[in-house]
Amino acid sequence: MPRWIPNEPGEEAALLEALQISSVEQLFRDVPKKARIGRLGIGAGRDEPDVVREVDRILDRNKPLGKFANFLGGRISSRYSPAAVDAMVSRSEFYTSYTPYQPEASQGMLRVLFEFQSLWVELTGLDVANASLYDGATAAGEALLFCRRIHEGRRFLVPASLPWEERSVLENYASGPGLSVEGIPYDDRTGRLDLDFVRRAVGAGDVFGLLADVPNGFGHLDEGVADLKGILGDIPLVVAADPLSLSVLEPPGRYGADVVVGEGQGFGIAPSFGGPLLGLFACRSEHVRAAPGRIVGATQDVAGQPAFALTLQTREQHIRRSRATSNICTNQSLMALAFTVYATVVGPRGLAALQASIAEKARTLASALGGVDGLKAPRFDAPYLGEFTVELSRGTAADFLDRLRRRKVLGGVPLVDPRPGRPSSSERILVGVSDATTEREIQKYARAARTALASAGRGA
Amino acid sequence: MTFRQARWDEPNVWDLAPPSARAPVPEVPGVPERLRRKEPVLWPELAELEIVRHYTRLSQMNFGIDTAPYALGSCTMKYNPKVSELLARRPGAANLHPHQPEATVQGALELIWRLERILAKVTGLPEVSLQAGAGAHGEWAALLMVRAYFRDRGELDRRTEVLLPDTAHGTNPASAMMAGFSTQEIRSKDGCVDLEALRKAVSDRTACFMLTNPNTAGLFESDILEIAETVHGAGGMLYYDGANLNAILGITHPGRMGFDVAHLNLHKTFATPHGGGGPGAGVLAAGEALAPYLPVPRVVKNGRKFRFDYDRPQSIGKIKTAYGNFGLDLRAFAFALTHGEEGLNHVSRRAVLNSNYLASKMGKSLPRPFRPLVKHEFLLSGAPLKLRGVRTLDLAKRLLDEGVHAPTVYFPSLVEESLMVELPETESKRELDNYVAAFERAVSDTPENLRAAPRSLSVGRIDEVRAAREPRLSWKDLRSAAAAKVEAPAPVGPAP
Repeated sequence: MPRWIPNEPGEEAALLEALQISSVEQLFRDVPKKARIGRLGIGAGRDEPDVVREVDRILDRNKPLGKFANFLGGRISSRYSPAAVDAMVSRSEFYTSYTPYQPEASQGMLRVLFEFQSLWVELTGLDVANASLYDGATAAGEALLFCRRIHEGRRFLVPASLPWEERSVLENYASGPGLSVEGIPYDDRTGRLDLDFVRRAVGAGDVFGLLADVPNGFGHLDEGVADLKGILGDIPLVVAADPLSLSVLEPPGRYGADVVVGEGQGFGIAPSFGGPLLGLFACRSEHVRAAPGRIVGATQDVAGQPAFALTLQTREQHIRRSRATSNICTNQSLMALAFTVYATVVGPRGLAALQASIAEKARTLASALGGVDGLKAPRFDAPYLGEFTVELSRGTAADFLDRLRRRKVLGGVPLVDPRPGRPSSSERILVGVSDATTEREIQKYARAARTALASAGRGA
Repeated sequence: MTFRQARWDEPNVWDLAPPSARAPVPEVPGVPERLRRKEPVLWPELAELEIVRHYTRLSQMNFGIDTAPYALGSCTMKYNPKVSELLARRPGAANLHPHQPEATVQGALELIWRLERILAKVTGLPEVSLQAGAGAHGEWAALLMVRAYFRDRGELDRRTEVLLPDTAHGTNPASAMMAGFSTQEIRSKDGCVDLEALRKAVSDRTACFMLTNPNTAGLFESDILEIAETVHGAGGMLYYDGANLNAILGITHPGRMGFDVAHLNLHKTFATPHGGGGPGAGVLAAGEALAPYLPVPRVVKNGRKFRFDYDRPQSIGKIKTAYGNFGLDLRAFAFALTHGEEGLNHVSRRAVLNSNYLASKMGKSLPRPFRPLVKHEFLLSGAPLKLRGVRTLDLAKRLLDEGVHAPTVYFPSLVEESLMVELPETESKRELDNYVAAFERAVSDTPENLRAAPRSLSVGRIDEVRAAREPRLSWKDLRSAAAAKVEAPAPVGPAP
């Protein structure tokens, strides 16, 4: 038995004696015989060194990002996280606590969450943020349902360039209440949203919301997002924004966004094969009672000292049950702590400088890849920050990326819906840089791409 | 032992170094003027040491499992093994991108696959997905699977109802609503599902009955096989809310009890940290009928290679970015590996033993509703406190002064002034006895002291009504409140 279960000599006997029973088995007499099971068949337990050895053996079969020149992005970042972030996340007073139902005993976490909400409010230009959702995609899903609560209609518009995973998550959030998700076409040269399509859709009626991502699914910026609210009028606008980009981009609240969601993982959270992540959500004050998730408010104690507590809980599942704004209970509080510490350690000037330097590296990458025969880089004629889309003129993305991998280059995220029978552009790849990317790695990518495409040409 | 929590007069982070809006925003070439930020982000510039002190001090004003027993019922606040924290930070786990080629993440896929196989055996349901972000997320996804199943059978127009007992977790009805179902509550009798009421309620409109077993009263639903027969007899599906799985490992499982689909919370039974409210990790486990509808991708093994399988035409698609919370899956895997067959069974046996012991002791101070035999958690009623002019809430606050976390209070609502107590298998008899002693001191304290509690924490009793009535939800609100105060006209009349 692991040391985690107390096992002092006589301990169990004393517990049984107090209950005046002779065996633990008697405590399960209410489980009918026909419902009992035999052995699970999962093997015997192991001691700690053996477990460490076994897990390490499994993890050794992974090749972590450090082994490669890494150009993967697409909502999940591999930016460096200052060691101070993990040190704070590792404070076990934080990580072994739970939802602060007893606020007097949990002022530390409540304060962290209040600071986190404040930070997302500052970045987005909106009024109210919640204390986190699961990830960027589910935050977008919650935003869709939020829009439906504040506006009539059955149709929700999203860019046709939205990554397939996010589209699929949104369609699931829409499916319960029988709502539809429709793609807004984009200009083939610039990737920009077709605003006339949006005008027509709004004119046709029944639209209850629109989501636009900044940067978009191709990694590019589309200044047309600033025109959307003018077209939508009182129909809510959701902007899905990359948090780091907001250090240099106009807060979406300033150009009419009613909701800003985002994926917060890049702020001090390890990629960890895609989880845990951090869903960000902010809205306007007048809609706060329609918002999903926990919200922390400032108040005071009996002596008039400042204090913090979960508030507006009548929106939530544990009070309102089937009339709650969302079913969310467990959220991503610890990740909200990482986000807040990261932003504070890097600092507001540091964040903007970081984004500027990443954008500079991305331009270096674009010019290096732009010179590769068989590769259009960037594919779209549009501004970008840390990521952009490239297009192959021969071969498939899967084959190209596999050739790169053999040369220790992770060449990007293929913009492909891998489900059989789904149409997608199999030759487009989202490439990105991080603060860790070096000039040498960029040149390595260009060389590997040249070789890969030369042999792809021969193969075809 | 006298308990005093740290009480730092720690300002909010922005008050440590009031930010200035003077720093220019750096130019990024190509950014369209309309999208360019004109004013810098308003946030403090602090030295790293100042930041570390700030958050360290805040942490000292927070209860965790590592500082005290945390008796929140239905939350299963067990020890979070340190070895799992160590392993989750290995570069081979933390430094993996979900879009890496499969050939470079064989270990991650193997770990997911092996954990899924373990959980399939623990649940008795053959197909498992780890994509859900937490328990409630899993509930919602499972109900979407139920929906897709009935759509394929042409029964969705009719089967629009989800039934649940009045003891159900609040997430159950909320998930049902989000998945497009209406809900109907089945009343309990002596703390368990009233089988007769259920028999009357099921019909060809029933899509699903959601149940947690043991239930939130801490009682095992001994009629479970009859319940399953009743729901299936009406053509409905039986859903297992795995929040209370900690009571039944190796004793019974959802598959044997007749459930068609289940969610588990790895942050409860499998000891991954609750993180101040999250992250959690949800597991979806499905029997044959619903398995084809599980989210994509699934992890499959071909020979010695593992890969993602997207070829599941009946799948509901994606419910979350990537493949769930891998960092937590790894911790749960280490937990399962450590315990093994006997250990997992021992978890439940000790959790139930602890709970019955605690119930027998604490039941001397306050009445226990329903039958005495409980599983991993139990209820008390604080109703008698009202005769002394105090409430369960006061008792909970007074318990905090003892340096222990209070039970879940006012849930489930079928018991007046309820307290729901759970101290899992990782608590020793000594800690249980300490908890009982603390509870006895709290219950027998004077009404004045109970109402004045807590007095040993970083703040006194908090005015939660004020928080809701005058919402101040961010620094921005605090700034406008402060500005309003400055601008407020001077009171008219003579000075006091």
